[in-house]
Amino acid sequence: MKIALLGVGGCGTRIVDQFVRAERRTGRSVTGGNVLAFHTESEPLTQTTALSTDRRVLLGDTHPAVLRRDTTSSPTHTDRPNASDNPQHPSGKSATSNHQDGGSSRSQTPVFDVNEYGVGGDPDVGAQVAKADRPEIRRALDKIDETEAAATLLVCGLGGGTGSGVGSVLLEELTDIYETSVYTLGVLPASTESNQRAVTAARGLRTLVPRADSTVLVDNDTWRDDRDAIADCYQSINSMTVERLLAVFGAGEASTSFESELRIDPADISRTLAVGGVTTIGRATIETNTESHGLLARILRLLGRSPTSGSTSVSASKIKKLISRAVTSKLTLPCDITSADRVLLILSGPPDTISRKGFETGRYLLEEETETVEVLAGDEPIQNTTELTATVVLANVTSVPQIDQLQRRAVSTQDTASTPHSTEQTETTDHVQIQSVESPPDGDTTPAEFDFDDVDTASETTDSSEQ
Amino acid sequence: MKLATIGVGNAGSKLIDQMIEFEFETGRNLCRHALVINTARTDLAKPQHLDEDRRVLIGDTHQKARGHGVGGDAEIGAEVAKTDIDEIRRVFDDVEIHEVDAVLVAAGLGGGTGSGAAPVVIDELQKMYDEPVYGLGVLPGTYEGGRPALNAARSLQSFVNKVDNFIAFDNDAWRSRGQTIEQGYEEMNEELATRIVTLLAAGEVDESEVGENAMDSSDIMRTLDTGGVSSIGYASTDVTPAKEGLLANFKETEEPQSESTDAAKIKGLVRRATNSRLTVPCDVSSADRALIVFAGPPEVISRKGVESAREWLEHEADTVDVLAGDDPRPDSSTLAAVVLLSNVTDTPRISEIQDQAVDAQNKIQEQDAVREEEIQSLITDDDNDLDPIV
Repeated sequence: MKIALLGVGGCGTRIVDQFVRAERRTGRSVTGGNVLAFHTESEPLTQTTALSTDRRVLLGDTHPAVLRRDTTSSPTHTDRPNASDNPQHPSGKSATSNHQDGGSSRSQTPVFDVNEYGVGGDPDVGAQVAKADRPEIRRALDKIDETEAAATLLVCGLGGGTGSGVGSVLLEELTDIYETSVYTLGVLPASTESNQRAVTAARGLRTLVPRADSTVLVDNDTWRDDRDAIADCYQSINSMTVERLLAVFGAGEASTSFESELRIDPADISRTLAVGGVTTIGRATIETNTESHGLLARILRLLGRSPTSGSTSVSASKIKKLISRAVTSKLTLPCDITSADRVLLILSGPPDTISRKGFETGRYLLEEETETVEVLAGDEPIQNTTELTATVVLANVTSVPQIDQLQRRAVSTQDTASTPHSTEQTETTDHVQIQSVESPPDGDTTPAEFDFDDVDTASETTDSSEQ
Repeated sequence: MKLATIGVGNAGSKLIDQMIEFEFETGRNLCRHALVINTARTDLAKPQHLDEDRRVLIGDTHQKARGHGVGGDAEIGAEVAKTDIDEIRRVFDDVEIHEVDAVLVAAGLGGGTGSGAAPVVIDELQKMYDEPVYGLGVLPGTYEGGRPALNAARSLQSFVNKVDNFIAFDNDAWRSRGQTIEQGYEEMNEELATRIVTLLAAGEVDESEVGENAMDSSDIMRTLDTGGVSSIGYASTDVTPAKEGLLANFKETEEPQSESTDAAKIKGLVRRATNSRLTVPCDVSSADRALIVFAGPPEVISRKGVESAREWLEHEADTVDVLAGDDPRPDSSTLAAVVLLSNVTDTPRISEIQDQAVDAQNKIQEQDAVREEEIQSLITDDDNDLDPIV
């Protein structure tokens, strides 16, 4: 499916940049140069490597509420080791974060906070800036060749003021001008990121989801790894995201891919996503280049039916397991898969490895596991690979504990800022209880995130960073 | 028989393509006109035996299709066919309809294009021509799931109501272990093309070769006249034509013994054709009419064998309407028997698909009913305290 790819904010910009590089590397043509990156801060834009200058759009550079790097003296914090690497996931401010996280179980983990440059993490400022810069946005959108793209994908970090704020206005603009589908990819903040970012993300969801044709979500909390350095961690989340996006939107777009019996048409993707709501993507891979065994594989090779010498036919049960693994292992956003509305399966790999029986039984298994009959499935023959990959799109999942948690955290943050403490205490306790009941078995968050102290101090920090 | 053929959707197009290939290989000339119709530009490029101007892309201006398929949605498949019906009619203008005996429309019933667009095309053909229009439909397998079953069950109704006869093919019957997807579909298409072409191509050969027992196109059409759903059985055996020199002379002296062996062989072939995989499994006795075509070198088709095979089928199918005839293929090295069971009413697979379809429809309706509400509840916090940004 040919798409126009637009990134907003630091996170969006980086994912778009990485997507274009991945496209080139894998020989798939998905965007065809129809890309743009929008930000209220110049540095993340200039750090891209695959986007030309005219594809980077700086917004709000004359807006009074926007803090620009070039005109401001260095911000109060000098120890921002990863600020330049991860503006979309604002860097740990160790000096101020240590005390506020004191009661938390993971005090050693740096607390992320809002970025002071740009709109300072405030989505309302972001929205204001975007509205004021509408002419600038429209001029940039003129660079997109709409006839080339079957859909538009807007990528943004939902915790950021630019991602959520500018993203909301941009989405409004896109759905107004394009008659084709507009999808969003939103990245949800991790529990270690500030409460302010949780509020922004929860509000961003409310804004984006009803308006977009579908919203694919990636949950940072599920994918972060405490052992890695922060930069590596988000780097790997972005890579995972790009890999999955490319698997879905790039299905059948590889220049080398040859005739597929059950090709995934762009209409298959759009029909799956047409139900709206929140979408999550699962993926699993196996090596096909195992030791050759089985008489059939040998005969086929002798008969020349196996053009990629070395790879052997993968058994039906292996393929079925692979497909099952794609939905049972980590999804971009964990959810109750039975709440999925529509499902899309893409099986890509060397054509001689894709067993029909495995494909069909795996497909049927998805129908049973997700309890929906709307399962579209296709194969994508790729010649020069030793990997067999199952990518599964679960569209309109409605039972998502991570979103419930995010909302509770957002509400309690908001309440703390506006109501007396006495009522707050009991409410928060309730939340903790609910959360422990609904938390998925592999849930990563700890109830400590709802500690009253944490909430309180974090909101103070938010204030300070905006000044 | 002489046919005008139309393949609708990916499965239908590939089938027509395979039929033409089988014709080429066996020196038959059944498909006088061939046309493929699709909603996906890429799939339209797949057939190898059709000229560029015999491929029709529909729905390329439709908002939800745009030349990229219909995503398995039969409603959209039907919609785009209706919108672009003039385009289809225009391409069909080239067909000299008086040169053909009938029109055959092939489609896969599980997808969106075949199940949705084909009935629309058939409607139009029935309006335009007096010639019978036959349907050839591929039924989705159990493992293809609920949505394809629902498409198929709905499309089957349209097909059977609109066509003069519907020849069904069950995908499940040809599933086998160890196939890749490509091989699986290739083999299925080959099997089906062999059956269809061997059956319908009977009665097309030159006058000179027509024997008195030759099957005539009108016999086939009469058998198909019942309407309803039909199933086809097939079996073949290698024969070594021995026509020259010593061997031929020798054979003639052996005539009496050979005749009885051949007769047994022929009856055995028909039994095998009927009892082995039918294109759609069915209770043979529920057939309304039946017909047997023997395609092969005329000298190996024993009259006695043909008659006893016919009687056997009469008994099996529990109908007196059984025709049998030859399709002489002097140069062929195989003898094939094709059994057409017309208007079979007891087909378990179709009942299964219908059950699966009803379940699927219920599920889809349930999902539709709560969709918006569930999305709202997901993105809104319990007390609706959080405001949207814009």
